[in-house]
Amino acid sequence: MIRVNNLCKTVVTGGQQLDILKGISFEIKAGESVAIVGASGAGKSTLLGLLAGLDNASSGEIYLHDENISLMNEDERASLRARHVGFVFQSFQLLPGLTALENVMLPLELAGHRSPAAAAQVFLDKVGLKDRGAHYPRVLSGGEQQRVALARAFAVEPDILFADEPTGNLDEHTGQRIVDLLFELNSQSKTTLVLVTHEAGLAHRCERILVMHDGQLSEEPVSASTTL
Amino acid sequence: MIVRGIRHLMRAWRGGELGLLGFSLALAVAIVTGIAGFSDRLSRNMEQQSHHFLAADRVLKTARTVPDEWIAEAKKRDLRTAVVASFRSMVYAGDAMQLASIKAVTDGYPLIGELGVSDVLFGMPQARTTGPQPGEMWLDSRLYALLNLQIGDTAAVGDKEFTAGRALISEPDQGGMNDMLAPRGMINYADLAATDVVQPGSLVTYRYLFAGTEQQLESYEVWLRPRLEDGQRWQGVRDGQPAMATTIKRAEGYLLLAASLGVALAGAAIALAARRYGERNTDNVAIMKALGASRKQVLIHYGTQLGLLCIGAIVVGGMGGQGLQWALFTSLKELLTVDVPGASWRPFMVGAVTAFGCTAVFAMPPVFRLSKVSPMRVLRRAGDDESAGLLVSALTGIGGIGLLMWWYSEDLLLSSAVLAAALVIGVLASVLVLYLISFARRVLINRSGSALRLALAAMYRRRFGNAFQVASFALSLMALTCLGLLRTSLLEDWQLQLPTDAPNHFLINIQPSEITPLSSFFDEHKLKDAGLFPMVRGRLTHIDQQKVSEIKDVDAESGSINRELNLSWAKDLPDDNQLLSGLWWSEIESENTDKIPVSIESELAEKLHIKLGTELEFNIGGQLLSAKVTSIRSLDWASMRPNFYFIFPPSTLDNYAGSYITSFYLPADQKALLGELLRQFPTFTLIEIDAVIQQMTLVVGQVSSAIGLVLILVVFCALLVGIANVQASLDSRLQENAILRTLGASKKLMISGLMIEFAAVGLLAGLLAAAGSNVALLGLQYWVLDMDVVFHGMVFIIAPLIGVVTMCLLAWISCRKLVNKPPLVVLRQTL
Ligand SMILES: Nc1ncnc2c1ncn2[C@@H]1O[C@H](COP(=O)(O)OP(=O)(O)O)[C@@H](O)[C@H]1O
Ligand SMILES: [Mg+2]
Repeated sequence: MIRVNNLCKTVVTGGQQLDILKGISFEIKAGESVAIVGASGAGKSTLLGLLAGLDNASSGEIYLHDENISLMNEDERASLRARHVGFVFQSFQLLPGLTALENVMLPLELAGHRSPAAAAQVFLDKVGLKDRGAHYPRVLSGGEQQRVALARAFAVEPDILFADEPTGNLDEHTGQRIVDLLFELNSQSKTTLVLVTHEAGLAHRCERILVMHDGQLSEEPVSASTTL
Repeated sequence: MIVRGIRHLMRAWRGGELGLLGFSLALAVAIVTGIAGFSDRLSRNMEQQSHHFLAADRVLKTARTVPDEWIAEAKKRDLRTAVVASFRSMVYAGDAMQLASIKAVTDGYPLIGELGVSDVLFGMPQARTTGPQPGEMWLDSRLYALLNLQIGDTAAVGDKEFTAGRALISEPDQGGMNDMLAPRGMINYADLAATDVVQPGSLVTYRYLFAGTEQQLESYEVWLRPRLEDGQRWQGVRDGQPAMATTIKRAEGYLLLAASLGVALAGAAIALAARRYGERNTDNVAIMKALGASRKQVLIHYGTQLGLLCIGAIVVGGMGGQGLQWALFTSLKELLTVDVPGASWRPFMVGAVTAFGCTAVFAMPPVFRLSKVSPMRVLRRAGDDESAGLLVSALTGIGGIGLLMWWYSEDLLLSSAVLAAALVIGVLASVLVLYLISFARRVLINRSGSALRLALAAMYRRRFGNAFQVASFALSLMALTCLGLLRTSLLEDWQLQLPTDAPNHFLINIQPSEITPLSSFFDEHKLKDAGLFPMVRGRLTHIDQQKVSEIKDVDAESGSINRELNLSWAKDLPDDNQLLSGLWWSEIESENTDKIPVSIESELAEKLHIKLGTELEFNIGGQLLSAKVTSIRSLDWASMRPNFYFIFPPSTLDNYAGSYITSFYLPADQKALLGELLRQFPTFTLIEIDAVIQQMTLVVGQVSSAIGLVLILVVFCALLVGIANVQASLDSRLQENAILRTLGASKKLMISGLMIEFAAVGLLAGLLAAAGSNVALLGLQYWVLDMDVVFHGMVFIIAPLIGVVTMCLLAWISCRKLVNKPPLVVLRQTL
């Protein structure tokens, strides 16, 4: 599903060269759930952005769905995302000008869905926000906003879901419920999940854990007790 | 697709970013359709009106009658025709006789326009579409008085007796001052032969009038042209435009200029609003792209939104423009004697093109930039490059505004002059503001109160934004002051500011022996005269030994030069004259007296290419007089006092038969005195200009109210720019203020900081605008409007005042929003 070959990312800021990713390779199979962990500033978000084709790598290859997205232009990558990729962010990233329902409708409209409103409503129901469709993000609590974001991510029934610290802006209790919801929806739709987090507890709910350190990635052996 | 576009538009409208953009667009459309429609209809109206001044569509002017075949040919083409024969002749009534200028007219006259006649001397005119019947003569009130005649009495011209049926008050084809000199009479053309005054060699002018469609007229002209002989002239409407037409033409040009400035301002507001629209949508686009929207989809999404907005603006603005046209015509209604032609579709097209043009030029660039937003923004707020695309959008904006102005004014010179001034001001303002802000920060930061320090810090943080703010606001203010000043100088130029008791009657042909009786007549009736001036009638025949009639440049419009001119002599320079070059008599060395010195009026000098030292030759009653120009004067025509093109030193004109001229003010309710005056002094020539003055006052009054209306619109546009500007900085201010308040700054402190910042912007903009408008006006007056150059000092007080007041007002309005919003709400939103 995802294959990465010797991926590097270098940025130049203020005349200084900064190597964020220094040659990363790994593979994720369809249906797997993978956590990427690491300290803040380790380069997790950068990696996730590259995997989703939001940015260009400096060198190396990324295969998504057996397609080499490093060779694609921005629009081709966008079209790939529209068809196969869902996203959940730390800061929710709902459009403030749209209601909850309209936010969920947005990717459906982009993918050319025939009845986006009905489909969106189904997913709002699934995340427990049946009656909040007409509300704007600013009147929703953080947890509710992230639920809308989850509904938006799963509404297009993606093959791959990327989540960048989905609980980072939430308290522990709310975060826990969001994570539960995330994994529940994920198991329903058999989506490949790539989850960035610095919380060990959350990471261990995934099948595999990749550790990001100093621009390098290493696989952490998952203890037998958790897999059993 | 459309439905979805409309749905998206509604969503975006709800968000509030589109409101200002749509409003600015609609305003631009309203201004353009309003003013384009107005001037379009006005010029068609003027065209029609000017046909009235000819009493026809075309006129053939000749000294002899034309072959009947020519008229038959015109009739064959379905043209309407009429003939007017004008000549001078004695009119007899009992023992009295008077030289008058007589018009013999056929029944069709006037083909266009109306005669004004009255049953009472000096009475109110009633409209007539035909001249007198055979056997009847209409005389002007003056001639009745001179001949001691009552309406209904008998008067004779040559061998034919007429009934003096009515008083002739006005004619559509009334000539200039010279035609008004002699009293006038009008008879039917059928009686012309019976008078027997027109004989071979007598001085008669025939005017053959033609009216019909343009096509008929043109085909006739093609036929006629080859047959015309020397001295026969074919005249169209444009050959004889009266002064009022020029005035209205000028007002029209002014309105167009105002409109293009209004559109330029609205364009600036559109650009600002669109930029903010783009900025506010940057995050949205990043999210949309992260969700898989392609660049094309983003472009289509926002393009449809703008397109639909544009259509909405055209509809709303078009209706607004219709209202504006109506308001403009209402304010001018008494001026337009002819029915205003109906509205045409052209203004709507112009409005639609404007809307799409403004959208393409001002609103599309930010959308193009939007389509390039990186989706990576959803993971990390990249440092926004504030200046990205600024230069490109500034250049397209300026280019677009320039094109629009050119299109509207159809005057490349004018629009590029205005644009160049705007550019210079813009760049200067930006550089100056940047420099001033850093300078003030360095000098004041350590020794000022905290509000001032706060303001300075804020201004420094936003120095580029502030530079743009000052520059754009200065430009709007400049446009405004320019229009305001132009308005007053145009009005002054139109000689509006006539005192109510300015002389409105002239008396000519006063003999020296009549001076004392005349002044006792004036004293007796408590009338005020403007003083007596000597006057000799003469003709300018040669300029530097060249015959005036042979000089090519002296075209038809300065034709007055071929007629008799009023010459005068004076010891001192008349009070309201100004010596522009040369010396007055007293300063001329006496040995230089081989030629008689003469002083000439400056405009005439320019027209005839006469300079100091040019030798002139006059024919005064058959005697020749040679003179040399020793000075050039300017006159104040508006004074309504007797003025002279040529003034000679005292006693140089003693050998020539002369008389005196004066002017005086006569209130309308004392018009009857004129009859008494003329009975007492039958040889005087009376010229009434009260009607002309009244007409002028009316014209200028109405034109200025129309202009006032447009000015208000332009003020509105300038305000839009201000609002758009403040809105542009609102987001960053909101966040900044929230943080400051969290850190413990008081409301009061923040309000004063904000006020200081805005007031400084307003003050700077005002000062720059004052300087800029003076420079721009200088160019405009000198090259374009052909008026005297004047420096306006008052704007250096007025413009900064307007600037500070508006900016503070804007600050106060936005302040409430900024300061009253609980910081927590703001911070929560921006986290
Ligand atoms: N465009 C960029 N310019 C400058 N520095 C960047 C850029 N992108 C990432 N970085 C830096 O790279 C490092 C990794 O960033 P990020 O991937 O956001 O880390 P994480 O998500 O693991 O906390 C950080 O130190 C960040 O400042
Ligand atoms: Mg991160």
